[in-house]
Amino acid sequence: MIELTIDNKAVQAEPGETVLQAALRNGIEIPHFCYHPCLSIAGNCRICMVRIKGRPGFHPSCNLPAAPGMEIESDCSDVNAVRKSILQFATLNHPADCPVCDKAGECRLQDYNFKYNGTPSPSIEPKRRQRKFYQINSRIMLDRERCILCSRCVRFTKEISGSGLLGIVERADQSRVERLEQGGVEDPYSDNIIQSCPVGALLSRDFLYKSRVWYLEPVASVCPRCSRGCSVEVWRRQKQWQLRAPGADKNHMAYRISARENPEVNGPWLCNQGFDLHQVINDSVRALAPRLAGAESTLQDALAAAQRLLFEAEKPAAIVSAWGSNEELAAFKSALGSSLTVYTRADREPEAGEVVEDQLLIKADKNPNSYSVEAIFGRRPFAADAGHDVVLVWGDLVDYASLGSAKVIHLATLEPAAGRPAEVLVPISTMFERTGHYTNFEGKVNRFEQVFEKPESVLHAGDLFGRL
Amino acid sequence: MTSRRVFFTFEITEESHLLHAYRERGGYQALEKALREMQPAEVQAEVAASGLRGRGGAGFPTATKWSFLAKGAPVYYLCCNADEGEPGTFKDRWVFEHSPHQLIEGMLLACYALGVRHSFIYIRGEFDLSYRRLMHALKEAREAGLLGDSVLGSAFSCQIIVQQGAGAYVCGEESSMLSSIEGFKGYPRNKPPFPAVKGLYQAPTVINNVETLATLPWILAKGGAAYAKIGTEKNSGTRLFGISGHVQRPGMYERAIGYPFKKLIYQDAGGIAGGKALKAVIPGGSSTPVLTAEDIETLTMDAEAVAAAGSMLGSGGVIVIAEGTCMVRLLQVLTRFYAHESCGQCIPCREGTAWMNKIVARISEGRGVAGDIERLEGITTGIMGNTICALGAAAAMPVASFLIKFRHEFAYFIEHGRSLNDGRLEIKI
Repeated sequence: MIELTIDNKAVQAEPGETVLQAALRNGIEIPHFCYHPCLSIAGNCRICMVRIKGRPGFHPSCNLPAAPGMEIESDCSDVNAVRKSILQFATLNHPADCPVCDKAGECRLQDYNFKYNGTPSPSIEPKRRQRKFYQINSRIMLDRERCILCSRCVRFTKEISGSGLLGIVERADQSRVERLEQGGVEDPYSDNIIQSCPVGALLSRDFLYKSRVWYLEPVASVCPRCSRGCSVEVWRRQKQWQLRAPGADKNHMAYRISARENPEVNGPWLCNQGFDLHQVINDSVRALAPRLAGAESTLQDALAAAQRLLFEAEKPAAIVSAWGSNEELAAFKSALGSSLTVYTRADREPEAGEVVEDQLLIKADKNPNSYSVEAIFGRRPFAADAGHDVVLVWGDLVDYASLGSAKVIHLATLEPAAGRPAEVLVPISTMFERTGHYTNFEGKVNRFEQVFEKPESVLHAGDLFGRL
Repeated sequence: MTSRRVFFTFEITEESHLLHAYRERGGYQALEKALREMQPAEVQAEVAASGLRGRGGAGFPTATKWSFLAKGAPVYYLCCNADEGEPGTFKDRWVFEHSPHQLIEGMLLACYALGVRHSFIYIRGEFDLSYRRLMHALKEAREAGLLGDSVLGSAFSCQIIVQQGAGAYVCGEESSMLSSIEGFKGYPRNKPPFPAVKGLYQAPTVINNVETLATLPWILAKGGAAYAKIGTEKNSGTRLFGISGHVQRPGMYERAIGYPFKKLIYQDAGGIAGGKALKAVIPGGSSTPVLTAEDIETLTMDAEAVAAAGSMLGSGGVIVIAEGTCMVRLLQVLTRFYAHESCGQCIPCREGTAWMNKIVARISEGRGVAGDIERLEGITTGIMGNTICALGAAAAMPVASFLIKFRHEFAYFIEHGRSLNDGRLEIKI
């Protein structure tokens, strides 16, 4: 451990750590644009400059190795003067169009400018005009006037995703971020550059002009789209900003997804499938009404019918969902595990065109909790020839034909495909309507919080097993 | 003209760049002596005794720079910085065109002293004759067994690899030169790590200027003590001064350090063109702060003395400015150069150089407004010391010094919309 002081506060740094890392870890805020913990040091924004007592000049703290006995000053008038002039340079040709910028409210440039600059630009020169809506790919647009060339996006595509999608071309004030022709055609992680952009230069086409971010709040959740189980944040509308009709449906809408830093699972990154999770939440056609052989009924009747079917069955079986939480799987085991033959199933298979697996995050198993299912019930695909007369199917995307002639009790979040209806259909809540835990493929347990209220007509699967 | 030169003492002829001519004037004897009689450490000690300081601009003692090399590395590299881009400086070009073997011998000596097997010359892309003469000299040296495997039959082997620049001034900055050699964009690197620890291809690297390396053969032949006798106490040896601008005889002059400025301008260079009075001198390449005629009255060409006068001896490119020159227009030439040559990596330099250029250009078009001078001063303080490499300071220093020394000309231009002088940069003779 290296002992040093930052602003007269004693701080311990790990060997090899920089002053900026030590400061951030100890809750001392040193402003920074280009520094990112998972990317190489670029040192080009120059706003993290600090002073070392007894040494002349200013030093970028992102590239300053912590040394024993170092006395760092990061909050004195001359360091703040440097920050101020850096911000004057950074905003020299910046359009300052915060009122129409999606990043406003969570923009480092905006925050620092208010905190350390606070005066209008001394410049009277006309601002440099540049391309506003440059298409990086089908998902991302670049506003070059807002870009401060911190090179985070370039470094991400070079060092993390490896696609080489972006580069900085030309020099001096002609420098600009450009899509490189030799770069990979599509980058399955490209949306990370939107999130890591410290200004409003990289814009999500999906989120563009959808909402001001201060109306929204993030809820910690887990991405269920593969067995990595990345930590995410689902952004919903805040209580005090709820809309009355018209537009009340926006109150129950997921606005966007962001990666939630979790060094054990996903670091600060997420794949584009994860960034599209809000579309899955918003666009999925939910099963909302209980049904008996296709005809709408009440929950009470549906549960009674299911109970009777199971009671009368000679050889009942159950298929558990790999989308069930650890709590639900435990509830299922204690309530029904001994009375039914239990099979397992991967609810979701890779879709056409989807990246099946790669070195970074994406896993081939497209279900969030296969690990727990296998730990509790083993791996047993359903055997249609075992002669089961009643099957309790928990989970979505089921083809009833594969279950043979058995009568089906289906616990579903999504509206089942058209065709032969299940004998009993009981709608259940999605993971975003309850709290729980998933265990990812490495055995790491990750908690997700409730994002939305469940519709009244659906049940939590965990409450339901005891009543069957 | 050869009589005043100390180390580069030869008549310039059509053949003076060839191997036989170099051998006739004693070339490669120092290398032979070093390889046969001296240990690498002894070569280093000789250089240390000479007190030789780097000739690229910063004037750092060469032996000290060598001693910073990280110990115990499997590979070391030597890079010769020949990306001579500083406006007003043309000494390296002179060496390449007239005595390239002197550089090659110097590099071989440095490589021997430092245990380097592969060394690099990064030569400015615009140098055409220089490049051809260097390549020819390398070919000659290779064929004569002076370069390559087992130099002069000894156990020492050394290769020299030549890399041409692509026209970027910033690649004269040592770390961006390394990036450029490695095939990356010529962006300066953050320090630490310094090149002496992690330089070219992450190996400890020494980067020396052409003139520095070309001086080594003399030091090894005649001894460091003999070298230390020339020049001043703190600054031994001579410098190649390239004098340009409004003088009668612009060109290369090798003079001992401590030589008076006025003598160089009025005696050697023949005085100011057109018999005009001297107005100002930029003493060491365009990035060094300007000095007025009064400043150089008793000034000698010595890094310490020039620093005391508030400027730098830099690369030794003396730009002489005659009375009647418009300093606003002159500064506009400089700001345009730096705004164009900034690599664009770090914010203060990228934005600041362009901003300064816009303001100075506006003033020189007669559209200056009150407050422009203060605005420029604010920009220079914002840039200086806050950039990754020295280019930002190199751009800010002339602006700051012009504003101090010739403030009245800027004020006049802003107030009246026209130059205090006739507004021309060239003068009629």
